[in-house]
Amino acid sequence: MIEEVFNVNLPVNETLTLRRNRFSPEDISTSTKRISIVTGIHGDEIEGQYVCYLLAKWLNNNKHCIKGIVDIYPSMNPMGIDSITRGFPFYDVDLNRNFPGNTSDFMPAQVANAIVDTVRGSDFAIDIHASNIFLRELPQVRISRSTADELIPLAEKLDIEFIWVHDAVTVLESTFAHAMNSLGTKTLVVEMGVGMRITKEYGQSLTKGILNLLAHVGIIERAVLPTTKTTVSNLHSEVFFVNASKSGIFIPILEHNVTVLKGEKLGEIIDPLSGRIQETLISPCNGLLFTIREYPVVYEGSLLARILEDPKEDTAL
Amino acid sequence: MKEEVLFEISSLSRNSLKVKGFRFGREGTTPSCVIVGPMMGTAIDQLWIASQLVRFLRQHELANAAFVKGEILVIPTVNPYSFNMGKNFWPLDNTDIDVMFPGYDKGETTQRIAARLFEKTNNYDYAILLEARKDHVECIPYVEVLESGMSYIEDARAFGLDFIHVKEEMPNDTVSLTYNWNVWNAKAFSLISGKKGILHKHEANKVFDAIVRFLVKKELIDFSTFEGSHGNLVMPNDVEAIKSSAAGLFDTLANIGDSVVHGQPLARIFNALDGTLIQTIISPCDGIISCRYDYSLIFQNAIAYRIVKVESAQNTL
Ligand SMILES: [Zn+2]
Repeated sequence: MIEEVFNVNLPVNETLTLRRNRFSPEDISTSTKRISIVTGIHGDEIEGQYVCYLLAKWLNNNKHCIKGIVDIYPSMNPMGIDSITRGFPFYDVDLNRNFPGNTSDFMPAQVANAIVDTVRGSDFAIDIHASNIFLRELPQVRISRSTADELIPLAEKLDIEFIWVHDAVTVLESTFAHAMNSLGTKTLVVEMGVGMRITKEYGQSLTKGILNLLAHVGIIERAVLPTTKTTVSNLHSEVFFVNASKSGIFIPILEHNVTVLKGEKLGEIIDPLSGRIQETLISPCNGLLFTIREYPVVYEGSLLARILEDPKEDTAL
Repeated sequence: MKEEVLFEISSLSRNSLKVKGFRFGREGTTPSCVIVGPMMGTAIDQLWIASQLVRFLRQHELANAAFVKGEILVIPTVNPYSFNMGKNFWPLDNTDIDVMFPGYDKGETTQRIAARLFEKTNNYDYAILLEARKDHVECIPYVEVLESGMSYIEDARAFGLDFIHVKEEMPNDTVSLTYNWNVWNAKAFSLISGKKGILHKHEANKVFDAIVRFLVKKELIDFSTFEGSHGNLVMPNDVEAIKSSAAGLFDTLANIGDSVVHGQPLARIFNALDGTLIQTIISPCDGIISCRYDYSLIFQNAIAYRIVKVESAQNTL
């Protein structure tokens, strides 16, 4: 059932509406589990649209399997999604730095507050992001170290390539995921693909993963499938960042999602005016190239690649 | 005066970004004060204030070599690129430099800018940031001190501005420049005024006078000025946010700095298609308008005014 969860009038003959599609069983009791699938907080990230579609389509066709509540929220920043605008249009702020929001603050904070209010009470939530327009990401779940024990077992059910456990940073306390985790909703953040595009295989694969997670927690009745991917995490190895030290045009040499060797060439920064190579980028370690720059123009500091180092052999023996 | 290029960032097709500092007095002497101009490329009032300050200090120092008694560094802006394009934030990725502190010199471009600026400014007794509000408002000039700066709130009176706002600290304040100056034991102040994208000389000159007054009172310059206001302390709960209940054309009836009474009409909102009067915004309290929404089209539930309530006049230190 499609429901409107928040409405606010815009100046000229339009209403900004947040919508969700709710799938629920006939009988609901206090023990009925509920999950919220959220995406589109960043308006330039589209990968989640396809996942929402595939999931809703599956649920439409398999109503008899639904034992819990599945809420799908495809567009938490409707004006942003419809206009390739990452932030909240007009106010030019990142919605995902304004949680849990506040009803007496400016519009983006009110929208954040409305999102928290409507998702509140869910047992689980998945917030699907698509990196940004600059970087292409291997599908990954990002988890703050403070919630790792609780969330890693859940993330593994998504059968996803990579779980990235990052340090708790105070500024990230203003994200949707942090707000919901603080309210007792176990919330996973998925990052995959690249901004402004849809990577069909990632969408299909994540949808399968979500269905698997739903089966696992008893929201749908279906056999739990064995996981097929070797999920790697960074608990036993390090993530290396490769940033540009020169400005120019970045030309990658390697494909995304490959294993690289220490010293291997990742790409070059070239100067179109002089016809010279400004910088040659080299892998700092052996590992998995899980992030690669997609947008060619770079400044000093622009992120070009991230590599998950292979786990270290225990040399102490 | 010594004019220095504090640091540079290169660019593919533009001239490199040069951040200039103007140093007065003798480096390494006390008391010392750093004044940093706007990081947002539409904060024109603040650019005016900073550049007029360089002119003032230079002229007086030329006439009297002992004019500056300690050390003063003025950095009019770290973001000429955005000023030259009429953009608020960093041209390539729209990131806000003022959420990158203390910065990271091996990170993304704006993290590097933050790191370099911080390294050049974290060793002063007093640190002043010139800011325009990031949301769509016009406001009276005021001093803002974070809650963690309460121990030196008395020093904020040296500016002689009418209001000293004590800001409640949120998670996303921990990455601001003033917060990090605080952590490094500078007495840090934000001077906030005006409206983005336009020069309000009247308001801007009040801030300019306030800085000169501060420099005199803190014995940084050999000069005399008129006394300013004693300064009213405004705590987070002393400000009433007044929202629109309708969306449409916003016709304001009251100005920033106006003293208003309970029941006074502040603005009217008209339907943007048929011209019907849909709301008259009424003041819910007695007080002074500190901020006003600055655009002639307004959303429903947008904050139209902020009023410092008269009841807060009883705040004492
Ligand atoms: Zn995102």
